[in-house]
Amino acid sequence: MIKNTTRVSYFTNPYLLKMLLCCLTLLVTFSAFAHGVDDDTKQFLLNVTGVHIVPFLYIGSDHMVTGYDHLLFLVGVIFFLRKNKDILLYVSLFTLGHSFTLLLGVINNIQVNAYLIDAIIGFSVVYKGFDNLAGFQRWFGINPNTKVAVFIFGLFHGFGLATKIQEFQLKQDGLIENLLAFNLGVEIGQFLALGLVLLVINVWRKYASFKQFSTATNTLLMSCGLMLIGFQMTGFFLN
Amino acid sequence: MNNVNNDDTTSSTLSANTETSLLKSTIASAIIAVMVLVLFILPAEYNIDPTGFGEQIGLTVLAKPIDSSAINVGKVENTTTQTQKDVVTVLVPAGKGVEYKFQLTQYQKMTYQWQTDGMSLYLDLHGEPAGDATGYYESYTIATAKEMSGQFTAPFTGIHGWYWKNKTDQDINVTLITEGSYSVVGLKQ
Repeated sequence: MIKNTTRVSYFTNPYLLKMLLCCLTLLVTFSAFAHGVDDDTKQFLLNVTGVHIVPFLYIGSDHMVTGYDHLLFLVGVIFFLRKNKDILLYVSLFTLGHSFTLLLGVINNIQVNAYLIDAIIGFSVVYKGFDNLAGFQRWFGINPNTKVAVFIFGLFHGFGLATKIQEFQLKQDGLIENLLAFNLGVEIGQFLALGLVLLVINVWRKYASFKQFSTATNTLLMSCGLMLIGFQMTGFFLN
Repeated sequence: MNNVNNDDTTSSTLSANTETSLLKSTIASAIIAVMVLVLFILPAEYNIDPTGFGEQIGLTVLAKPIDSSAINVGKVENTTTQTQKDVVTVLVPAGKGVEYKFQLTQYQKMTYQWQTDGMSLYLDLHGEPAGDATGYYESYTIATAKEMSGQFTAPFTGIHGWYWKNKTDQDINVTLITEGSYSVVGLKQ
């Protein structure tokens, strides 16, 4: 149908590719700087009052680009998605989910234990890896609705983002604006990181090795999720 | 619509994947995870090192700055109301951060004065409430300076003190003079 003729892969378009790479290089460079001056970021966040859109945009995107737990989950989600339309749909559901709880959590000052939330985020990675290996279908004979799952895990990821920003006990003055900027920053970071992941996966998909290694990749994904769970639960019990 | 997309994803999940390979994948992922956790992550993050491997390859140094609030909770009872005076020189190595702390009960006062032997340090004067295990702390002053003096009244019982970070490539000595009712907790690297 019409779908087939409009199936242009945005991520193999050479111009977009170049642009994305440039953006990513910039962001990674800035991130490297930012991590060198972590104390300054902390100092800024602890003392900040009033509206500061750009710094919060930056902190949000920085958190996402360097937040491997969120990225691992997204890798799992898009691993077997070929159509741009599907990618857009799933990523939107994830965005909707995490934005909702991020805003809700911070505005209503809902305190969730960061270790537990991060462990659940780890679990979401295990879940998606297992799902990609068709584990639910084979062992339990069920096909969980993948869209609902992505949305629900998005909600948990949002609480995770909320706990990160709550650590800094932001002042009420300008909170909503700063928060929205942080949220938007998260989406920018997600877009950039996802761009890179899609680029790699879409190129890789063309080779036979994609099929050969897809089991290994998803096994590794599950493994990383389990590591996150172990790491966070140890932290939870120690504290 | 739902079915179409579900089919799309599940049919492209590994159709060649057999029952045994799913089992293998699951077991393999668990084994890898446990190994990496035990050998690397737990030693580096929490200084939990059951195999001793983390210590051997020098990973546990990362986890050595342990939470002082946990250690010093027992000292709360020891605090005297008498005033004391202390002079100490703290070395802040190039590129490193160190903490020097005092135990104060609520509303106890401490007069302080410190200066470096030259260069400025990033500093964070902060307090951690006693008995708190969440790692929460409250910063009173964050600045970059080569000297600082004043009086400090503890807003809550707990560990209070300075975090100094040396951003230069030369070691810096800080001479700290304190007077008041407190007990010295000391250096935390």
